[in-house]
Amino acid sequence: MKINVKLIGLFRTGRFKQEDRQYPNGPKVRDIIDVLQLPQQHFGIVLVNGVHAGTDTVLSEGDHLVLLPIVDGG
Amino acid sequence: MKFQTTDPAANPSAIFYKCCTVDLRNGEMKFADVPCRNLEDVLGGFGRSFQDLAKRKIENAYCDQNPLIVNTGLLTGSSAMTGMRTYFSGYSPIKGSKVGLPAAMWSAGSGKFGAKFKWTGLDELVFENRSEQPIYVVIKETETGPQVELKSAEHLLGLSTHEKIMALQEKYDNAHFAAIGRAGENWQNNYMGAVALSTENQLKSKEDKFRFAGRGGMGSLMGYKNILALVAQSSDKISKVSEAVKKVNINVIKGGGSARIQPLSRGGGGGTWAAYEVLQEFHAVPVNNFRPQGNAIPEKLFRENVEKEYDIKSESCFRCGITCHNNISEKNADGSKGEFLAKFDYEPLNLLSTNIGIHDAGQAARLIQLGDNYGMDAISLGVTISYALSYNERHPEAPILNGATFGDYEKIRELVIQTGEGELPEIGRGSMRLSESLDETSYAYHVKGLEIAAYQPETNPGYVWAIAGGHISMGTYGLLTREGKSDLESWVKGITEDKLHIVGFDMIGLCKFFDITKGIGTQMVVDCLKSEFDLEVSAEDIRAAVRRAFLRGLALELRQGYSKAEFSLPAEVSENPNRNIKLPNITSPEFFEKLQKRVWEIFEPELEDQ
Repeated sequence: MKINVKLIGLFRTGRFKQEDRQYPNGPKVRDIIDVLQLPQQHFGIVLVNGVHAGTDTVLSEGDHLVLLPIVDGG
Repeated sequence: MKFQTTDPAANPSAIFYKCCTVDLRNGEMKFADVPCRNLEDVLGGFGRSFQDLAKRKIENAYCDQNPLIVNTGLLTGSSAMTGMRTYFSGYSPIKGSKVGLPAAMWSAGSGKFGAKFKWTGLDELVFENRSEQPIYVVIKETETGPQVELKSAEHLLGLSTHEKIMALQEKYDNAHFAAIGRAGENWQNNYMGAVALSTENQLKSKEDKFRFAGRGGMGSLMGYKNILALVAQSSDKISKVSEAVKKVNINVIKGGGSARIQPLSRGGGGGTWAAYEVLQEFHAVPVNNFRPQGNAIPEKLFRENVEKEYDIKSESCFRCGITCHNNISEKNADGSKGEFLAKFDYEPLNLLSTNIGIHDAGQAARLIQLGDNYGMDAISLGVTISYALSYNERHPEAPILNGATFGDYEKIRELVIQTGEGELPEIGRGSMRLSESLDETSYAYHVKGLEIAAYQPETNPGYVWAIAGGHISMGTYGLLTREGKSDLESWVKGITEDKLHIVGFDMIGLCKFFDITKGIGTQMVVDCLKSEFDLEVSAEDIRAAVRRAFLRGLALELRQGYSKAEFSLPAEVSENPNRNIKLPNITSPEFFEKLQKRVWEIFEPELEDQ
């Protein structure tokens, strides 16, 4: 199934900014993070179709997934 | 500090801090080993200074009875990573209640001054009254203990923060420096003066790479007292790092606490600047006085766009492995590094660029550099200017000041210079006073008289209960964006339990990046205290001390005349909701009313004990 994946900030380094990607049916967000080998210590925010979600969220055909690093200011 | 116990929670009075009180009117000095009243005193910073400020009824920040308290935290100067903090406390010229009383305030900064200060043998320096003549103060280590000297500073008058530090460096070896700029010298018309703290990098490179205790106008208070600079002269007291502290330090660098702040080259997040990219996904990067437009304009200041034209180098404070500084320099034609411009941290960058309509990295860097050299708090400066620009946008027929509008770099630069020179009290006295004088307060982005940081208030109603400004004293700024929490229970818990603990770092001498999400009530801190001082203290005791200190600050605000109505966000947030921000609305009047009720129900009974 097709998921539109957008990466933010350092997650783009060596990967991509945004693209449609094919995954086996019913992947969890965590599965996609694993496939992309995103660094766990930076992992912060998951948005599915613009709404905060967890890494256990099961994705559906055509979902828009945004993966963001954690933010801290100063 | 002197320790006659290993149990600071049960027996704090057996621990003594070395305090020197200087009467600036006559030069008299008193040294004392003061027994600690409680664990907050032991930890230090505002945990101690606010107890002393609470004893005084101050009606005007610029009065002889208002002290300037300079102190450190228990772990300042220790081998615990980030242990470099210096704290400046007093009643603030800029933050105050509507009845006209100044709020108690502290400001914290890194650099190496704090460690040097601690290594002189002194833990706290209290300045009473004011000097008739401009002075600087030398704190030095001697065989008989710390010594304090007052010196004429006529030759430093009119110099920038960096120039003062450079001038003093020529005279004092083995020393570090805290200096105000012209803004602090012009304290009558500039309430947002900051204190610049020298770094090793600055003293070696001669470039203006300092750190700041910026918030609350402590540099202006220092200027009022006619103290232009402090010199801390001592040998470096760097002990061998114990195995326990080594483990903690590795955890600080590699653990969750600071990983996102590390340089990109080390697999880190690239410093606080990286917040730009994350917040932009929600259209929550402040633009044109906190009115994000739902477009791509903030992307111009994304790192990937800036590094095409400028050299970016990651650097760190003394002995800190976090390396959070992103120093921006011109790039020469051959690609080599050119003139150093400024450090890009999220707050000063946003508030002196995108939020005032500036989208050119070079212009942003020049404004940051200018403000730093005048010694002004970048947050208060940027937000007050953005208010003025917003006013002019709304009143093109009758603009104020020089008529500057969003994005007009030359005119904005002129405003910064005039403010630093003390020629523009309209800006220098902050957004609360300016907006009240113009009778248009709804879009003045301050809370309780202190300008908010670069997180949209729509994302952080916790600002309201921050006791020392913006995000540094209430860590709820990521609760909605980062954690996705938009329900009342999460916000009540965040404000009244978890997120207030961020203030603990402003007691103990550590930087927030030591462990920003957990605070100081952790095993890491427990291990450091055991290893460094043989103190046996539990994480629970530390957390309790931090909570008491926070509540003391809240109680002090109420005592200084703040009404409950002043615990509120800028009115524009609810009167004209910004539909461009792609996050749930948690600042509707209905939500906020419920939040206020619940938060006060929890805090108020505890405030009675303060």
